[in-house]
Amino acid sequence: MKLSGLSFKAIVASLLLASASVAEHTSNWAVLVCTSRFWFNYRHLANVLSMYRTVKRLGIPDSQIILMLPDDMACNPRNAFPGTVYSNSDRAVDLYGDNIEVDYRGYEVTVENFIRLLTDRVGDETPRSKRLLTDDRSNIFVYMTGHGGNEFLKFQDAEEIGAFDLADAFEQMWEKKRYHEILFMIDTCQANTMYSRLYSPNIIATGSSELDQSSYSHHADNDVGVAVIDRYTYYNLEFLEAHVQDLSSKKTVGELFDSYDYEKIHSTAGVRYDLFPGGEEAARSRLITDFFGNIQNVEVDRAKDLALEEELVELSKTIAMLRKREAEEDAARHNVSSIPARVPTAPPRKIQGAKALTEDDWWTKKVIGATALAGCALLWGVGTLLEA
Amino acid sequence: MPRLLSTALSLRRDPRLLKIPPYISAFCIAIGVVWLLLLPLDDYSRRTYVSENALLPGQVHTYFGGSEQSIFRAFRHEVDLLASKNNFEVNDKLESILTGFGVKVGRQNYTYHSAGEIYSGENVYGILQAPRGDATEAIVLVAAWKSIHEQLNRNGVALVLTLARYFKRWSLWSKDIILLLPPDSTTGTQAWVDAYHDAHDSKYIAPLPLKSGALQGALAIDYPFEHRYHELHIIYDGTNGQLPNLDLINSIVNIAGGQMGIETTVQQMAGHTDSYQDRLQTMLRGMLYQGLGYPTGPHSSFIPYHVDAITLQPAGEGWHDEMAMGRVVEGSFRSLNNLLEHLHQSFFFYLLMQKNRFVSIGTYLPSAMLVAANFTIMAIFLWVKSGQPIAKREATDKPKGDISEGKGVSTTTPSSPPTVERNLLSPLALVATCHSISAIPLFVFNHLGIKTLPLAFLLFSVLSTALPAIFSFVIASVQKPTAQFFQLTKSFSLLILGVSLATLSTLNFSLAFLVGLLASPLTFIQPTKNLVTRLFLVILLIITSPPVVISSAAWTSGVTMSEVLKAASLGWNVWGMYTPIIIWCVWWPAWLIGTTNTLSSTFKI
Repeated sequence: MKLSGLSFKAIVASLLLASASVAEHTSNWAVLVCTSRFWFNYRHLANVLSMYRTVKRLGIPDSQIILMLPDDMACNPRNAFPGTVYSNSDRAVDLYGDNIEVDYRGYEVTVENFIRLLTDRVGDETPRSKRLLTDDRSNIFVYMTGHGGNEFLKFQDAEEIGAFDLADAFEQMWEKKRYHEILFMIDTCQANTMYSRLYSPNIIATGSSELDQSSYSHHADNDVGVAVIDRYTYYNLEFLEAHVQDLSSKKTVGELFDSYDYEKIHSTAGVRYDLFPGGEEAARSRLITDFFGNIQNVEVDRAKDLALEEELVELSKTIAMLRKREAEEDAARHNVSSIPARVPTAPPRKIQGAKALTEDDWWTKKVIGATALAGCALLWGVGTLLEA
Repeated sequence: MPRLLSTALSLRRDPRLLKIPPYISAFCIAIGVVWLLLLPLDDYSRRTYVSENALLPGQVHTYFGGSEQSIFRAFRHEVDLLASKNNFEVNDKLESILTGFGVKVGRQNYTYHSAGEIYSGENVYGILQAPRGDATEAIVLVAAWKSIHEQLNRNGVALVLTLARYFKRWSLWSKDIILLLPPDSTTGTQAWVDAYHDAHDSKYIAPLPLKSGALQGALAIDYPFEHRYHELHIIYDGTNGQLPNLDLINSIVNIAGGQMGIETTVQQMAGHTDSYQDRLQTMLRGMLYQGLGYPTGPHSSFIPYHVDAITLQPAGEGWHDEMAMGRVVEGSFRSLNNLLEHLHQSFFFYLLMQKNRFVSIGTYLPSAMLVAANFTIMAIFLWVKSGQPIAKREATDKPKGDISEGKGVSTTTPSSPPTVERNLLSPLALVATCHSISAIPLFVFNHLGIKTLPLAFLLFSVLSTALPAIFSFVIASVQKPTAQFFQLTKSFSLLILGVSLATLSTLNFSLAFLVGLLASPLTFIQPTKNLVTRLFLVILLIITSPPVVISSAAWTSGVTMSEVLKAASLGWNVWGMYTPIIIWCVWWPAWLIGTTNTLSSTFKI
């Protein structure tokens, strides 16, 4: 416990010092899901393929990317540019290129398969490419897009996944120690409702639009004849392309979220930090490359610097002390029995149980009740007397 | 509660209650008409919107133009050279042109017989196979050699040939494109569509040598004139008042207006100002076409097979040219090409007020239903009334022989008035006779030759006017007609009329409404002793009799009666138009019975 707390602080410290970070996770995975088919939903596939390109660009190998594509736009007869998928009308980057590995395609993209994938409840015969082989040291980037509504996301016009289903799947993953941290990103109408039910720890969630808001497409390609990308995904990509050019980028998730602008996205993008240990501050300081990039155990010269290490340890001790003090103050302020001043690696669990009635002022309440009853009796007595 | 129930029951026997139904009937008709007149208002009609996500109208660049114009001129020259040739020579040339593009070509002979005339011809069509499609679906581009107004459709045919050559070069078609070039705008497409769905009479119509997948939509071009045009007239009425899916019209309005800047109109309402009056006129004109059920263009034949189709007809003087028309077609085909399933999202039952304003069936249906309901209410009322003994105050009239208090059948409570036995045989016999002889005009008008048709109609009109008098004379001589007899015959006749029209209103709203309105006097006529009233009633009935209405309608629209009869016969024999059944087998017998009833008092009660 002590050790993990220490290493966490080391990260914070390293961030502050802008030095080479040593992430806690040992692998990076990405689950990229498009849930709609049909030609006019071209943009959803383009969204997912853009994200696929981004995570691959930042080093996550195909073996650690689960790509779910329900339709094949590249080979659709309506495609004026056969064999390609573009997410921009400049058609500069062919997202379908020659190195695409689709793990779940066509009618394999179902709610059942998605949940089985997350929770690893798959048959023995399932190939490794269709499994999410993560452990408790894996960071996962989950990206979903399609047509959704209040607390649901439609899969292929046939079924839908609910916010509760998703929350339960993530909880199972947590229980089975299948992730370390998750960045959940969703681009659909009323997207923010989809993560509202999550209750498992170590998740940062973001969505494109609030309840009763639609998410909009960004622009159409008039030769392809359809909208090619959604606004939220477009501006995410814009940020990632501009600021996260390689793994050395120090841009944080918080900076990405700050770039969301209603004027551009035309819907209110939402973020949820409360599941993350350390809350908003800790979540925001996570590097983008912690989720989008692949961890690379490259030895950097400076890592050998003993002085720096010592400095780090010193600093982390100071931080630990400060935190402890803050926690104590916090506890005192809230008038609750003190909690151990440690970094909450186990997050605050929000389990609604039967709530016991407080026993404070039990006698006072009894007395008030008895007085009230007596008063009523007295009134009644007086009333009868007067009447008689 | 029991008290309430008994109050309700005693109210049921209240004689005052029996006076209400005729007023309810009149009220229904009035509400029905007012309802219809309210529809053009903003509060009752809605703006159109594209409902099908897949269509994405106007989202593609259209590239038809430039050098295609020279090709178009060349094809128009070819068409001009063929102007004086016969159908087969024309088709030989068209076939060689189409095969020149690498399009598979088929030809089909057909012969229709109607009103003693023969309509025969040969369709030529080509199937442009989608290079990457799976040949399970197809869209049709039609240009009839003869336009709707029987002119040479020279620009239309040339445009289809140019578009075919142009479409052939695109690789993005998901559906085959069928290019249909029938010799005329009326019979040719019908023969072709029938044969495409294997629903043709193989004695007269040849099967198709080549077929593609299920038809998803059709667009016909009717462009005979030379000058530049101002707007596109969208003709959408199908046979028997069936309509194409509203999304098809919306898409084309959207593509023409939004992308090409071409005005669109419906129901020949050029210069629509979107005022109440214009909207009402558009709606009524639409209702008239729908009510007639007569095909309005080459697209009409597709609609009964659930293939959404329209005809595009350039109109007015303006600055748009053939290329703009071609681009509208290209844009529309790109939209249809996007479809994943049959058009089904939007409305199939609607009345258009303007190119972008409509009312849907839920809003307008009550209007025709109320008119139809008035007959049913009256029928039920008369049935109840026929079972009641003649009230004391009416007993001053001649006592009726076969009605006596003692013959009461059911007496639920001792206090309820006894139900009089109804004598059903003779009323049923009269109603059955009238309905069965209605097969005669239906048969006669659909099988006689054009030479005898006008004479037959004249004879029939005279006979139709005389029949009620003959019937009432026969009735009076066979059996002493009673009040109950009139009530029952009228009740049965109105019941049939009401049920038929209510059913019809869901299929062809306009026809049901128009017939309902014209037949509405039948609700209120009854035998009367007053000579002046009777004379007035008889004149009213003769004015609203089917033959008189038809001939006066023909006269007002400046068409000769023989043309009307020829067209009706053609509609019946070629397109399966059911308007004659409604007129001769629903409306006419009801009129006949009503008029017989009115006249009966003449021949002695």
